[in-house]
Amino acid sequence: MTTDLARTPDVADLIAALPEGVDQPPMQTDELASYLARLALRPIPTGRLSRFWILSSLQAKVAAAYLAWWLRKGFVSKEKAAAALNETHLKAALELLGSMSYLRGAVMKMGQTLANLPNVVPQEFVEALKVLHFEAPPMHFSLLRELVHAELGGEVEELFAEFDTEAFAAASLGQVHRARLHDGREVAVKIQYPNIARSIHADLANMAAVLTPMRLTGGWANLREQFDDIRTMLDQEMDYVQEAAMQERARALFDDNDRIVVPAVHQELSSERVLTTDLLVGQHLPAFLADSPSQADRDHFGQLLVNSTFRLMYRGEMCYADPHPGNYLFLGDGRLGLLDFGCIAKLDGDQAEYTRLAGRAMREGGATMDELVAQSTNSKDVSELTPEHRQLIIDLCDWLWIPMRHSGPFDFADPDYFQRGVDLTTEVMRKRYTQSRPVNTWFNRLFYGVRAMLHHLGARADMRAAEERECSLGPVIPE
Amino acid sequence: MRITAKAKQETRLKLLSCAHKLFLKKGFEATTTRDVVAAAGIATGTLFNYFASKEALAMTLLADALEQGREAWDERRPQASTLDETLFALIAALLRSLAPHRSYVGDVMATAMSPFTRDAVSHEGDAFRVDHLAIVRELLLESRPALAAGPGPSFVSMHLYWTLFLGVLAFWSSDDSPQQQDSLAVLDQSLKLFATSLQGDGATDGQP
Repeated sequence: MTTDLARTPDVADLIAALPEGVDQPPMQTDELASYLARLALRPIPTGRLSRFWILSSLQAKVAAAYLAWWLRKGFVSKEKAAAALNETHLKAALELLGSMSYLRGAVMKMGQTLANLPNVVPQEFVEALKVLHFEAPPMHFSLLRELVHAELGGEVEELFAEFDTEAFAAASLGQVHRARLHDGREVAVKIQYPNIARSIHADLANMAAVLTPMRLTGGWANLREQFDDIRTMLDQEMDYVQEAAMQERARALFDDNDRIVVPAVHQELSSERVLTTDLLVGQHLPAFLADSPSQADRDHFGQLLVNSTFRLMYRGEMCYADPHPGNYLFLGDGRLGLLDFGCIAKLDGDQAEYTRLAGRAMREGGATMDELVAQSTNSKDVSELTPEHRQLIIDLCDWLWIPMRHSGPFDFADPDYFQRGVDLTTEVMRKRYTQSRPVNTWFNRLFYGVRAMLHHLGARADMRAAEERECSLGPVIPE
Repeated sequence: MRITAKAKQETRLKLLSCAHKLFLKKGFEATTTRDVVAAAGIATGTLFNYFASKEALAMTLLADALEQGREAWDERRPQASTLDETLFALIAALLRSLAPHRSYVGDVMATAMSPFTRDAVSHEGDAFRVDHLAIVRELLLESRPALAAGPGPSFVSMHLYWTLFLGVLAFWSSDDSPQQQDSLAVLDQSLKLFATSLQGDGATDGQP
């Protein structure tokens, strides 16, 4: 027990009280690849309304304590082929973590971090993480009415002509309801659960305190950065005003000709915890695929998906930090809808420059490539890396760039191409080459996520043309 | 000169209104009966023709507001909702009606509705408690038919509910979160826990 823990005595007491586990064979996972694939295609939260959701930061503390114990064990015995994992305790931790069901983002990230530790990721833990969505406690209409009154200053019946009392979708930290305005327009109203922001902050602080022992190990600095990343991400997701601004910024990037649409925000019916936008009607990826679309339709939407990604990145200097199929809607009229700007990363000057560097490295190779490799691994110079490490990064970049160097439409259905990417990414993570900047994490997830979607779409899309066009146009200067 | 019933009523209302403004401005503790009668422009001794004490006056203000809240809730009762939603709607309506009085609710409740006092300090506070619990009891019976078949909600359940209600009120009275939204979270989750606890009261119909 380190002196750091003494600062949080109750957590330390909990840890001290943890029983020593019986050594058991580790639960090996060789499924990092499929885990990553599933990560990219996480099921869209559909608001399974759990009835007896109880918020308890004490539970969170205990869960974090078990997690810390488990992690420490992993680090301590990293020389052994098998880390000492105790299934009973792990299950207890999983159940308790399950009570922190709103922490999808945070726990998913923890899962990704843990997935970076070879041979320590238990299959069960990974499986459990997959189903932890950002479920805020379900809200009945009586609560919604109070929130609308508090946030928008009026009664639901006055502000809206119609308002569905049942949610049609879960959202991060809240839920979404269909409604109709007095002028007849259909809207989606996202409402946040009260007080959840503060609860999450408190529990994250507890988690950080409990993970302090990891400071003794090498991975701490990077973990700390990722933790801060989680906090920033959550702060962003809690603030619907910021989301509205991002959405409007993205909306301005597309016109009718693009066949890509971002729903308009209704500012007068939006606030920090209520977001009202135009309602788009369409299908998410699973439903679209279930209808057995033609190759032409798959290609069509695949191309729009590619176009939207590059438009957002190069012209809007923004990207989905956590892309998943729920972000995209396939409309009946052939347009692609972009949704959910709560988790969008706005690239700062350095980061935007980094994306342009990547583009140049792709075209020029040589010294520019070395510069990219150095920057992507947070090194001052490429010579700081082992040749092996350097080559792996180059291989990964080359893989990423295959479709962008290919003339004409690239077939993303190609299983070999996809598998190669999985193998490379797994290799990078296995070798623990994970010290990288947050922006790299976004890009990895973005590229991987988009490619995974394209693969599942079975689409053929001209990535090269899209990238060249959007990159050359440069950023849009907002008015 | 005999004072008319109408004039009495007007004076009563004036006292209430002046007291409210003083409570808001100076706080409940700091306001004296002298302050109130001075503001209302009546003779010192006559206050007690209308209200037994400052506490009674204050509790009347709150009870009136609570009654308005209850009426508002009654008018727009949600249809076919769960027990915790129905109770939520009731208490939320009461909180809304108490909102103009929030800054002094805590001080008044501490004396007029304190669970620690043996004897009823305030007739108005006690009357509210009895009425409110009767309503809640009805709602429990409606949502848990199995309870109606037997002796009804247990003494412990009703007591649990009352302490929950006072707890939420106490929390709300000093809740500085924007529009007291934290209180909505506390109320929502407290009621969910309470509804769960009622399973032990013989409800076997599996109703939420």
